[in-house]
Amino acid sequence: MMPTPATPLRQAARRAARDPAVVAGTILLTLLAVVALLAPWLAPNDPQAQDLLSTLLPPRWLSGSDARFPLGTDTLGRCTLSRLIFGGRVAIHVAVLAATGAMLLGTTLALVAGYFGGIVDRLVSRCIDVWMSFPPVVLAMILLVGLGAGVNKVVLAIVLIDWTRFTRVIRSEVLIVRRRDYITAARLAGASHIQVLWREVLPAILPLTITLLSIEMGIAVIVEAILSFVGLSVEPDVAAWGVLIADARQTMHQSPWGILFPVTAIFVTVLAFNLVGTGLRRSLDARLVTARVDATA
Amino acid sequence: MILSVRGLTVSAPIDGQTVEILRDIDFDIGAGRVLGLVGESGAGKSMIGHIIARTQPAGFAVSRGSLVYDGCDLAHADARTLRALLGDRITFIPQEPLSALNPLRSIGVHCDEHLARLDVPRSDRRRRSVAALSKVRLADPERLLDRYPFELSGGMSQRVLIALAFASNPALVIADEPTTALDVSTQATIANLIRRMQRDHGTALLFITHDLRLAAHVADDVMVLYAGELVERGPARRVLETPQHPYTRALKAAIPSLRGPIRRLLALPEHMPGPAQLARLPGCRFAPRCPVRDATCAGAISALREIAPRHVVRAKQACEATMPERPPVDRMTVSAAAAPLLTVHSVSKTYNGTRDWRGRLPPPVEAVKKVSLTLRPGEILGVVGESGSGKSTLARLVMGLETATQGSITLEGEDITRTSARTRSIRLAAMQLVFQDPQSALNPRRSVGSIVTQGMEAQGSRFTPEQRLARARELLAETGLPPDLLARYPSQLSGGQKQRVNIGRALCITPRIMIADEIVSGLDVSVQAQILNLLLDLRERRGIAVLFVSHDLAVVRYICSRLIVMWRGEVVESGEIEAVFASPQHPFTRELLAAAPPDDLGAPWPRP
Repeated sequence: MMPTPATPLRQAARRAARDPAVVAGTILLTLLAVVALLAPWLAPNDPQAQDLLSTLLPPRWLSGSDARFPLGTDTLGRCTLSRLIFGGRVAIHVAVLAATGAMLLGTTLALVAGYFGGIVDRLVSRCIDVWMSFPPVVLAMILLVGLGAGVNKVVLAIVLIDWTRFTRVIRSEVLIVRRRDYITAARLAGASHIQVLWREVLPAILPLTITLLSIEMGIAVIVEAILSFVGLSVEPDVAAWGVLIADARQTMHQSPWGILFPVTAIFVTVLAFNLVGTGLRRSLDARLVTARVDATA
Repeated sequence: MILSVRGLTVSAPIDGQTVEILRDIDFDIGAGRVLGLVGESGAGKSMIGHIIARTQPAGFAVSRGSLVYDGCDLAHADARTLRALLGDRITFIPQEPLSALNPLRSIGVHCDEHLARLDVPRSDRRRRSVAALSKVRLADPERLLDRYPFELSGGMSQRVLIALAFASNPALVIADEPTTALDVSTQATIANLIRRMQRDHGTALLFITHDLRLAAHVADDVMVLYAGELVERGPARRVLETPQHPYTRALKAAIPSLRGPIRRLLALPEHMPGPAQLARLPGCRFAPRCPVRDATCAGAISALREIAPRHVVRAKQACEATMPERPPVDRMTVSAAAAPLLTVHSVSKTYNGTRDWRGRLPPPVEAVKKVSLTLRPGEILGVVGESGSGKSTLARLVMGLETATQGSITLEGEDITRTSARTRSIRLAAMQLVFQDPQSALNPRRSVGSIVTQGMEAQGSRFTPEQRLARARELLAETGLPPDLLARYPSQLSGGQKQRVNIGRALCITPRIMIADEIVSGLDVSVQAQILNLLLDLRERRGIAVLFVSHDLAVVRYICSRLIVMWRGEVVESGEIEAVFASPQHPFTRELLAAAPPDDLGAPWPRP
């Protein structure tokens, strides 16, 4: 309703846009997203097509390579580049959906637990304690054995495991914000609890949530790779980075390329998400920003 | 001279420009003398101590002038020389005693470390520690050595730090607001203790404070800083009784007094310029707020002028023009027969605590014990007490943020003791709370316009954006804020502006009662005067009743018509202001009155 020349949110967005880590991470992620989207057109071969006459070929720049397979082939003669490109689709799909799902579930529980406190808070907190005492990968495997294979089952498993990351961190942030006088002031201005949560608490925890979301996406990529490595993630006919690593494991001494390319893909993707995460944290977190301003004042 | 400062100028790069944070400071402190350094926050008074200790923020450096201690220029001394002096010949007493002591180390370890640095042999340290602690009149120093800082009160911690500061028999002690973080009654004893130790050791003392009256009582000479500029320096009594610089005169006129007729406080407009604004003030830095300025002030820096022996002022002849008249304040006593708006009858609040894992309860804490009060329309009722007296809990009980364990609270005939949806709506239509800390009370992500009309927002679609905008404009005007603040955010406001926004929000629903919980305690004197005058105006214009919670008797005397004094959760005294100030009945009230430094510099203080 009021004229808004430089809202704190816009200032934060401007700071983020100038942060080198955010810029670098965003460029990498955009490239990745484009490649994943255009996979059917970019991939030189069908990722599942086998050519048993040209197995374990090295990449183009080494001797004995084949021009049809720019990054070589695996034990069944499948094109490594095409499989990497299609594997990126799985990685992005899981990263976005799983992290968003975990954020929605985790943040909602954190808001309710942190704001209302009391019995609700104790319930949620004990739940987190129990949840986090399971090794996450083992928990994921148990869940997937029950749910069966499939990309969306992986998403569900990650949401069910990783919501605790959000709840734990955001709950403590809500506890801090809740003690601010402006929360009481909003109540005294007649606002309902829902209005207070929506208008006063949520905007305060949003920067932290966005940061966590970005980092969680990187974690989801790793978890998905681990699960597909142990063969519990995608259907057998889908190429995922973890599957590529698992396939190349037996032949890694003869042909290290098969393992090097998917590992690099995972590394770059996770790095990009983490760069964005730390950069956003630096530019969105009011405390860090004011600390820097104070130091120069 | 122990310390001789000449033309000290400290510069820092701010927003790409070099700003002189301190400009041309001159002073001397002789052996055994006390210099009071007075200024509001942002005046640069702590910067002098920081420069001596080399703890100034990064980028701040001495660009001109000298700080000579015993033939050695501290501004340019090498680190080794400085380290040998600091903590031994030159020592410090900090503002926050509790954060100056390491909570993981006992008092004995603190003393031991300090004495080790002074090359006291190990065998002698314990005896010396005990001797130092008993000198500051700490009871049972032997046992105190084994205790930890968190087991000590603020006053006791400060005594320990004073003992440490004087342990090396230093030539110069720098005390930076040593009493500000303490309760009123403790303040007097600590100030007195510092003065006594200083006399016993014949030490030179630089006493930094924001309180002109306190400085005048503790110090031999007083120096006043404004925006990094030395505006006046002279014998303490002369500076307080006949200040010459317009700022010192304004400062004196902004302090509520404990005795004599009550005149309207002089509230200077705006606030002290911050570092970024200093670059735009090449001339007299006080000119924009000066009541007697003329066209030439903004461009010229006056020289320090000696107007009497040892009394110097940075002002022209023209600055001695008379200040604005201060009319007497009409206290508007409300007749006792008027029907009360709010009645609190014998209310108690007990905190039972939570059971531990074996199901045992801690002893209950009685925060408020059988408190009764009435508030009549258009009346400002003061609630006075120290920290822990239950005065804030009382305010929260009335506001419905806590529920009373006993007694009843009645608002315009309706019983609102219990909290329910009905009592909540009755309360919110008639009462609003103004918070102590405007920093915490304003959502940093909301614009000023959105904050002040928060009360309308809660009612959903009943108001159009245009109605809210119009109301926001009204509220800004009413609280004396310029309309262009509407779109600003709290981080862009000064402390005084924030507190006005805070008050504006409370006024949004036109309440009949305002509950003000220590709303001026974090503010500087000149800003405090603005807020107090605003409250008086609001009372006059709107007939609003105020429950004014404060620890400061002088402030309460200035704006309240009646007061109650709380001590350990109970009301120990209540009555009309004049009656209570003329003959306080309860020992605690008398103690409170004696603790404040009196206006009359001839009066002995603290009273023996």
